[in-house]
Amino acid sequence: MKKWKRLAAFVMAAAMLLGIAACSEAETSETAGGAESSAETGTAAGGSESAVNPDEPAWKSNTEPVDLTWFIGASWYPYTWGDSLVSQYVTEKTGVNVEIVTPTGDVNEELSLMMISGDLPDLISLGSWESSYNTLYEGGYVYALNELADQYDPYFYNVVDGSVIKWHTKEDGNLYCIPNDAYGEDQMRETGMTAATQTFLVRKDLYEDMGSPDMTTPEGFLEALRLLKNEYSTYKGEVITPFYAQGGSGYGLSTFLQNFLAVPYEVDGTLYDRLTDPDYIEWLKMFRQAYEEGLIGIDFLVDSEDQVTEKANNGRYFCMLREWTGMQEANTILAQSENPDSYYIAIDGPTNADGDAPMIFPGSLDGWMSCFISKSCENPDRAIAFLTYLSSEEGQRDIFLGVEGETYDMVDGEPVMKEEFVDMMTTDFDTFSNQYGLCDTYWMLRNSVIVDQWRPESEPYIQQMSDWADEHAYIEGGIYNNLEPTGDSDAAIAATRINQRWQEVLPELITAASDEEFDQIFNDFLADRDSYGYDLVVEYEQNLLTSRQNLMAE
Amino acid sequence: MKRKAKKKLLALKKQWQLQSMVIPGIVWMAIFCYIPLVYLIIAFMDYNISVPLFENEWVWFKHFKAFLTDDRFWRSVRNTLGMSVLKIFIGFPIPILFALLLNEIRNEKFKKMVQTISYLPHFISWAIFGGILLNWLSETGIINQLMVSLGFQDRAILYNADPDNFWMITFLSDTLKETGWSAIIYLAAIAGIDPGLYEAADLDGANRWQKMWYITVQCIRPTIAILFILAVSNCLGSNFDQIFFMKNSANMPKAETIDLYIYNMGLGQGRYSFSTAVLFFRSIIAFGLLQLCNFVSKKLTGEGII
Repeated sequence: MKKWKRLAAFVMAAAMLLGIAACSEAETSETAGGAESSAETGTAAGGSESAVNPDEPAWKSNTEPVDLTWFIGASWYPYTWGDSLVSQYVTEKTGVNVEIVTPTGDVNEELSLMMISGDLPDLISLGSWESSYNTLYEGGYVYALNELADQYDPYFYNVVDGSVIKWHTKEDGNLYCIPNDAYGEDQMRETGMTAATQTFLVRKDLYEDMGSPDMTTPEGFLEALRLLKNEYSTYKGEVITPFYAQGGSGYGLSTFLQNFLAVPYEVDGTLYDRLTDPDYIEWLKMFRQAYEEGLIGIDFLVDSEDQVTEKANNGRYFCMLREWTGMQEANTILAQSENPDSYYIAIDGPTNADGDAPMIFPGSLDGWMSCFISKSCENPDRAIAFLTYLSSEEGQRDIFLGVEGETYDMVDGEPVMKEEFVDMMTTDFDTFSNQYGLCDTYWMLRNSVIVDQWRPESEPYIQQMSDWADEHAYIEGGIYNNLEPTGDSDAAIAATRINQRWQEVLPELITAASDEEFDQIFNDFLADRDSYGYDLVVEYEQNLLTSRQNLMAE
Repeated sequence: MKRKAKKKLLALKKQWQLQSMVIPGIVWMAIFCYIPLVYLIIAFMDYNISVPLFENEWVWFKHFKAFLTDDRFWRSVRNTLGMSVLKIFIGFPIPILFALLLNEIRNEKFKKMVQTISYLPHFISWAIFGGILLNWLSETGIINQLMVSLGFQDRAILYNADPDNFWMITFLSDTLKETGWSAIIYLAAIAGIDPGLYEAADLDGANRWQKMWYITVQCIRPTIAILFILAVSNCLGSNFDQIFFMKNSANMPKAETIDLYIYNMGLGQGRYSFSTAVLFFRSIIAFGLLQLCNFVSKKLTGEGII
């Protein structure tokens, strides 16, 4: 019996050893492979440069069928490649067949697994706020796009905006990714389109019935809520929920509200502690007061997304601090309901004591999601050529408008989407996206500056919200986008702790019994914040900001 | 001794078809349970996924110090223990009682129906069950409507916003979802009782209560003991799915368990070493608890698992 046990133990140990050996072997061969391929790029870059024509995009010279997998770091991304008209057209034109991969769980977990196993998809679209964003290029998992472009497709530089390249070039002088939806300040000024989304929304018919009260001051806001409670707590058959703030305590009542109050990011060249701004505190205290009087609940901190959607789609909210982009569906439903005036409109919301115009957050050169080419990609030449194609005006048009004569016509030299498809966008969005794949279906490399000129005019109830946001955008603010440290550095850990603590503290502040208790909780939080390493975060953000400013001043 | 071993080997050879069926299980265990054990050492390193395992910097107890000095970690320990205590001391007997009750039902059809319905919720994932639950608990949900119309409350309450309710909500919802499923193992144990015992008891004139207590309960005692030992040793674990879908920023102070702490402070930021350190620590405690429980159980009831 004993021997048998020993034997089993030996087998187990052997299996474990084998496991270790296999793992370390795989690792060494992998790094060797990485070194090899980078050496390859180095030598090849010298040799074959003469072969490529810088005046012609490389995708035109090679349209052999090739498969590229494309990881999109958004688990909610619902579309596929190959079934829709647009994707078939692009595949036919460039030879590139894309297989879209989306994470089934946490984006970073899934990417980490792929990195360890050395099996990354060819193309990776990822938000810069994800912790694996830095790992991708710091760990050498992705190609430097500038090297690939130099070697295979110099036309890349003709289609990707210079300021975008400048912004995204890392300290080592390499460009690892290009973003979608990047907005330069000049572009925003010229076109008037700013990608600003933050709005203060009220239900139109209700607000007008209440006599369009002024809600820009804490007193006015409170009065409006009182009026609502006393006379309109049920309106046209719906029990009204007075207030909603998007993203709960971490966003809606934090940076979102601060932007409305025009709390500065920077004072005299140093970062400003926006959280302790007196105007902001005053407004938070107003919300506390409103809670004490039973004028608002904290349902917006508790409700699940489904519950919020249900309330919004039935017009149950009175007012909201919410990005208008999230309200397009609700407004469409409401405008077509039996109360066609029950949709939401953007009005002037919370304003600071000086009455300064709000500083609504604009788009920035940082963009939304960035696209990498991984070193697991067997055809980096085709991948970079594909990126060049997608970034070019031709590629943008193919992706956004589809096929000339089928989905759009040329009118006076300008492409215009056919009327039936413009209608389909509101009446049958499913077919529009899945069967045709038009407009924003494949947004992975969308250049808003280019496609917005072709975008069909929105319905007035949507246009109104977007106009308000554009009008109040703080165009210079793009440079403050995503200053927070990410990854696993000490500063990033401190920032996460502080944010997570703040998200817990905010509900306590609003439900505090008195202003004194509010002050007590708030001061405790500030002390906690210091103990978590707030100075590290500030130092990191200040350095990043300064380096960005220097970069753009060059 | 030698001969005995030879005999064993011979037996093994004879039943190789049967034995080979175990191999996939052993391979699975080796790959998913034993090989990962090697990676426990990253708890003592600053592990970077792009660097080969043994080339990472050794930092020894840095990560352990980091969470042991973190008051939020201790808060998560408190929350985990709080929920576990509810689960073990109130929740543990419920499936046993349920199984005993089911066993006493004479109408087979009705019994089967109750059993099936009661374990069905187990197959709904927490993502969905949690969503349903949040709707029930909301201001316009069924629970508020019921409480208000019955006069227990004068107005709707946001149940899920009050941290003090959280433990109870998780406990009750877990019981609701899992009772039927947990009862199955007891029902199986009850089914294995020799009917002769009951017949003998009948002859002795035992009534139903006496039969239940002196035969059924005594016969499933080993099962109860084993499950209790396992439950106690798992008291630092929690149902991550359940809590993940029911937490929000308002109830977080009472909702963050150790699992959620690891997720929030570790995995979410790619801090694999830190997460491993916390898990390692937890496993050691769990191992200690298991041994302790086993020891106590053996002394008291003569039943143990090791």
